[in-house]
Amino acid sequence: MNTTMVNIKINGDNHQAPLNATILDACKRAGIRIPTLCYLEDVSKNASCAVCVVEVKGAKSLLRSCTACVYEGMEIATNSARIRDARKTSVELLLANHPKDCLSCLRNQNCELQSLASDLGVKEERYVRTKKIEKCDTSSNAIHRDPNKCILCGRCISVCQNVQTVSAIGLSGRGIKSKISTYMEKGLGNVACTYCGQCALVCPTGAIVERDDTDSVFEEMSNPDKYVIVQTAPAIRVGIGEAMGMEPGSLVTGKMVAGLRKLGFKKVFDTQFTADLTILEEGYELINRIKNNGKLPMITSCSPGWIKFAEHFFPDLLGHLSSCKSPQQMFGAVAKTYYAAKMEIDPRKIVVVSVMPCTAKKYEARRPEMSGAFDYWKDKRAWSSEDAFYDVDYVLTTRELARMFKETGITFSSLPVEEFDNPLGASTGAAVIFGATGGVMEAAMRTAYEVITGNPLADINFTAVRGMEGIKEAEVDLNGMKIKIAAAHTLKNARTLMEQIEKGESPYAFIEVMTCPGGCLGGGGQPIPTTWETRRKRAESIYAEDANKPLRKSHENPNVAALYSEFLKEPLGEMSHHLLHTSYQQRGLLVWKTNGAEKKELKTPHHA
Amino acid sequence: MDGSRTLEQEMQEIDEVISRYKGKHGELLGILEESQILNEHKFLSEDALNHVALKTGVPLSRVYNVVTFYSFFNLKPQGKHTVTVCRGTACHTKGSRTLLDDLGLILNCKKELDEGEQFFTTPDKQFTVTTVACFGQCALAPVIAIDGIIYSNVTTSKLQMLVRRISKVRKIHENH
Repeated sequence: MNTTMVNIKINGDNHQAPLNATILDACKRAGIRIPTLCYLEDVSKNASCAVCVVEVKGAKSLLRSCTACVYEGMEIATNSARIRDARKTSVELLLANHPKDCLSCLRNQNCELQSLASDLGVKEERYVRTKKIEKCDTSSNAIHRDPNKCILCGRCISVCQNVQTVSAIGLSGRGIKSKISTYMEKGLGNVACTYCGQCALVCPTGAIVERDDTDSVFEEMSNPDKYVIVQTAPAIRVGIGEAMGMEPGSLVTGKMVAGLRKLGFKKVFDTQFTADLTILEEGYELINRIKNNGKLPMITSCSPGWIKFAEHFFPDLLGHLSSCKSPQQMFGAVAKTYYAAKMEIDPRKIVVVSVMPCTAKKYEARRPEMSGAFDYWKDKRAWSSEDAFYDVDYVLTTRELARMFKETGITFSSLPVEEFDNPLGASTGAAVIFGATGGVMEAAMRTAYEVITGNPLADINFTAVRGMEGIKEAEVDLNGMKIKIAAAHTLKNARTLMEQIEKGESPYAFIEVMTCPGGCLGGGGQPIPTTWETRRKRAESIYAEDANKPLRKSHENPNVAALYSEFLKEPLGEMSHHLLHTSYQQRGLLVWKTNGAEKKELKTPHHA
Repeated sequence: MDGSRTLEQEMQEIDEVISRYKGKHGELLGILEESQILNEHKFLSEDALNHVALKTGVPLSRVYNVVTFYSFFNLKPQGKHTVTVCRGTACHTKGSRTLLDDLGLILNCKKELDEGEQFFTTPDKQFTVTTVACFGQCALAPVIAIDGIIYSNVTTSKLQMLVRRISKVRKIHENH
């Protein structure tokens, strides 16, 4: 398609821009920066903040450059006293209703409003507060909202409605009473929210943040009775460096391990170990379903936001979900049974901390059924419900881990490169790529192919399922049996595939779904900002790590093999059934009517 | 004269409304408007909103967005009679604030009105007091509306008389 170019003048200089490009885009092409606040590329264009205004010759008023388009002969000024004054006033008016508690805000020094106020030269409080103080929403154990810090930019709504098609939040009221609300002000914990955290990732201020668990983890680590171990998801090694001030996508596996040891974790393990384990369980489950006319397509179950989405929006199709727990939950279950027994540690004293790129993982760890290890021990040791514990005790996001590193004065860039502890730290390249969209699919195919055909793969790189396209599909030939597979990221794309299944039109045998754009590397707990550019860089590092691994297929992981021979016996066996597999709950949309069970939290010994 | 019906009946009536609007542009507004009118207390209960959302496929947050944006929609039960006090500039200068205070005393809901409640319904569900920005009848200020009928040049005694008249009619009904 030919794009018509138009001639425009920006600040007196001649430039060309595609017809119908926004002034903002045209200026970006010309290398001229216009400050923005509510605008977010590919996510929202609400034109609500009036920060990106420019002067256009002949226009009656200043125009918002994020939505106004260029035309032939347009003369634009991006920097004049009038513009500077207008931008500053817009920000000052927002600040009038914004709490002045920056120093104790989780987004301190990573806040767009804060840096804009500084960039635009705000020096005094010129306007008085006009809004009522609103209650904070702490109804979920994953995401907290503080409406007082909200500037009504609408990014969170755009991402929730358009990218995820969840619509857990929306605008309510009118005029000065406008605010971001959940249905009937029930709170995120009581509506159909998936806790994907994309709202927190796009929020320019601290109005939506992850629930902070850093203090609880510090407290556990200072308790001499506790054996605090940590697992890290694949996407952390390509995110934490960035959060510590390095280049986006920096691959810092070894430094991260060293940093976690310095922080005080007794053992530093890898969720990738149980990612390999997941592939074996899930691979065998797929083979089993194909051979025995089981429910197809089978859909991956690693992404807890996706699971909750399916439970809310497609409660009748839950049979399509793999019964495998996510790698995080498998890790918790294995650590508090197999590892505890092997090392002769009282599982009640083990505290499993996960570092995840994800806010929904906080919720997943608190699902009442996620206490497989306790169920395993309680009869053997005659423990009562007083001793009950979850498989995973705390979940930290990448951002929280960065805060802990900073709080303990760890200079990340000068850390040595260290290795994960054994045995739960060994992993293959197949596990690394869990962090990118299409990765679980590729990893599963590497194993399923070899198990079914008995032949080694000629080329283990399934490039068809790599990349940032919304839904990727491929056909795999397994010894003459051709199956179609698909990988989707974002819940909007997942919805498309689910609607296909609903209509009985799904051509696939196996589907991978990742909740967040780009997969876990673009998760709701990752460093802010996360853009498509940073997602691509993180994906590059993920695939580089995979290529560098000596072992790249999950079934070749020697420690996973040992886990089976010493403890689990076989994939899909009796022990796996109890520890590594789970079931799902039909939730529907009227959550508050049915979530009584969810509210009852298991008593954790740590708060006793 | 039993106007009450079961929740199930009300939902069936809402279903009928939804089916009439199916496929029409802006169906949600029409459905919500009619659903409110068919309710005995002229409001949209949470059950009604849930029902509309599930039946139309409109997200719950979107339904909430619409019903909180338009002041026409009531999320709380309305009284049998609505007294609307104009709070426009002309009426204000002619003493509409006093009329509002008077209503607070007459109907025993002064506390709620002082606390800035948008509207208040008496516990016996007989009266709802609400305000409006302007009726466009400024020459007759101050004006109030009772059940849609506008009364002009209202004074405290006139207001007392109007309210008492409604209450009396009610009493007569109850005695028969």
